[in-house]
Amino acid sequence: MIPLWLIPLFPLVGTLILAVISISSSTSKKGANEGLVGGIAVLFPALAFLMVLLLSFGLPDAGYRETLCTWFDIQAIRADFGFLFDGLSRTMLLFVTGIGTLITLYSTGYMHGDRGFARFFAYINLFLFSMIMLVLSDSLPLTFLGWEGVGLCSYLLIGFWNSDLKNCKAANKAFIVNRVGDLGFLLGMLALVSVGGISLLSYPELAAWLVNPAMGEQLMAGMPLLTLAGLLFFFGCTGKSAQIPLLTWLPDAMAGPTPVSALIHAATMVTSGVYLLARLSSLYAILPEVLMVITFVGLATAFWAAITGLLQNDIKKVLAYSTISQLGYMFMAVGVVAFDVSIFHVFTHAFFKAALFLGAGAVIHALSGEQDMRKMGGMLKKTPLTALVMIFGWLAIIGFPGFAGFWSKDMILEKLYVSDPVSGPILYGLALLTAVITAVYMTRLMILTFLGKYRGDASAECHIHEAPASMLIPMLILSVGSAFAGFLWAGLIPGAEIFREWLAPVLSTAQTMALGGVHEGAPVSPWIFAGLGTAAALIGIAIAWKLYSGNVPAPKDDTVPKGKAADWTFFFDKFHNICGIQETRLVAWFLDVVVNRFIMLLQWFVGAIAIILSDGVRTFQVRKIRLQMGFSILGMILVIVFVALYGGSL
Amino acid sequence: MELQPVYIQILALILFALGIAVTLSRRNVFFVLMGIELALNAVNLSLVGFAKTLPAMTSITGQIIPLFTIGVAAAEACVGLAVVILIFRSQDSVDIDTYSNMKG
Repeated sequence: MIPLWLIPLFPLVGTLILAVISISSSTSKKGANEGLVGGIAVLFPALAFLMVLLLSFGLPDAGYRETLCTWFDIQAIRADFGFLFDGLSRTMLLFVTGIGTLITLYSTGYMHGDRGFARFFAYINLFLFSMIMLVLSDSLPLTFLGWEGVGLCSYLLIGFWNSDLKNCKAANKAFIVNRVGDLGFLLGMLALVSVGGISLLSYPELAAWLVNPAMGEQLMAGMPLLTLAGLLFFFGCTGKSAQIPLLTWLPDAMAGPTPVSALIHAATMVTSGVYLLARLSSLYAILPEVLMVITFVGLATAFWAAITGLLQNDIKKVLAYSTISQLGYMFMAVGVVAFDVSIFHVFTHAFFKAALFLGAGAVIHALSGEQDMRKMGGMLKKTPLTALVMIFGWLAIIGFPGFAGFWSKDMILEKLYVSDPVSGPILYGLALLTAVITAVYMTRLMILTFLGKYRGDASAECHIHEAPASMLIPMLILSVGSAFAGFLWAGLIPGAEIFREWLAPVLSTAQTMALGGVHEGAPVSPWIFAGLGTAAALIGIAIAWKLYSGNVPAPKDDTVPKGKAADWTFFFDKFHNICGIQETRLVAWFLDVVVNRFIMLLQWFVGAIAIILSDGVRTFQVRKIRLQMGFSILGMILVIVFVALYGGSL
Repeated sequence: MELQPVYIQILALILFALGIAVTLSRRNVFFVLMGIELALNAVNLSLVGFAKTLPAMTSITGQIIPLFTIGVAAAEACVGLAVVILIFRSQDSVDIDTYSNMKG
């Protein structure tokens, strides 16, 4: 068997080599050879993907588990470097490394000519390494290492073009907002440990502990703490996966290069929250209240982000809000205990969102950096292949029948409907409405970008060109994926559920446990759900067609929404400002004005005493040699008198 | 009447006090040096005076040590005068109170 640690090792080695190249070429004017750097950068993720592929065949139900070494072992806390390769991590790793490799290949074309070429790919490799650690680890502490790693790498990559202050601020925002979520993760681990000891931090042992009947009483006693742990972990996930309330960083993260956005949105980073929830499925299965919270947060996020997507003029911002919205769907699925469906949507979303982002990147590349959709238009004729890729991604995200998003989104909607006889249909209706809005804003994006006439500068028009092969090949592969990935679990076709079988060994126990007595069979035929989903997509297209074809808003200087649109878009920024930033400022002001002044006073006091004392002593040290001599003789006399009086035996 | 050792000590004490007084009170650097010499020789005299109280065989040691001290004092006076000459060249003065570069 191939040792598991080889999978994360490859991108790590890639990172180290690229870092050495980047540093050693930092003084040369031209930078390192792009062919060499690009080759190394693609090779190592590709090797990791190959390892995952080889391991995927003939995987036993229990998966592979191996412990490399003890990470740290201090009193009360012990963590091992252990890896777990089972159905869930296999699925995640397949697309993390696979799509990660494709995006890296695309970046070699996109970043061509950039001065920080080698540095960029060092970061990308580190990003993939962190994500692999996150997914492959068998315990929460090691997952936390990867969790922090992706946070760091997102910071480095969002702020990659660090000569612009705006990008640096966006990077800081992403990092700081994520740290708030990380606090939830840490406290969640603490809560788990306080319920059942350090061994609960390991996933298999946690699952075993939760179903162990001998632990029944301890479990009941620890229920409030476990609920708290569930909420805290969910809070951590809202940070990484950009859910309410910690979602403001993701739209700002568009400041990074476009392949980075694709990487963050498709393969790494935002999927980790959903992954963690699925990994802790056995914990969430016994916490119905927390699941309810997750459902509502997911629904609210999906709806809010879909509306916000309508109001954006920046092509990447639209895609960013669509990601938040789709993540909302995934959280809804988790909330109704459909962990496998949620992971399935992560999987299909990875394909079509990567295709959409890479397509958008190709459009931006063709237009020499223009991101304002109002200045695009007519790209269908100029870049037909890019348009084709985008159309595939678009059909997938709006849930057009047969495309990837159709299968996964429909399954989520269906699970929402059957989750509860009363609230289920309401949830279903709202989610379906969100699907309509999704179709509207995505169709708007396509119309503004690809149809109509070109509306940008005439000078840029002659430069418009199709992307190079290194960018087109990954895009085409991903578009094929967004067309056909859904057939791995096509609900309407009997027997086409390979994906569910992949995940079943890991997730089915928790799901059957949670659903327990709930009636599972759908009372309505799946064809009706499929029909309604298709209708939602078509209605959305029709509305968008009516509203936006031939009716393009006039371009302005910047793409930031104005007026009511700004109120809606920046609602959560304002919310953070009111309950978070202002309080922090208040504390900072208090520390600055009161505590700092107090400490300064103490400091000054000590200093003043020293000065006063030394001033007194200084008067003895005047420049009178005879006086000094007199003092020394006086001192000697004092010593003699002392010795004479006490005889030297004090 | 035989010379009592205590008179020798009294003389040495007077000489030592004179030496110290000269050293502290005069501003001329040469007088300061002379005062130091006087105090040193007063100590030598005191040593000889104490040696005289001992039996003849051990008394000789106490009388020889001042000879060494006188030799060393000559060397020291030599160095001291050389230093004084150098200081005089740079300061153009024999006033000991002006011999300072210190601030304050």
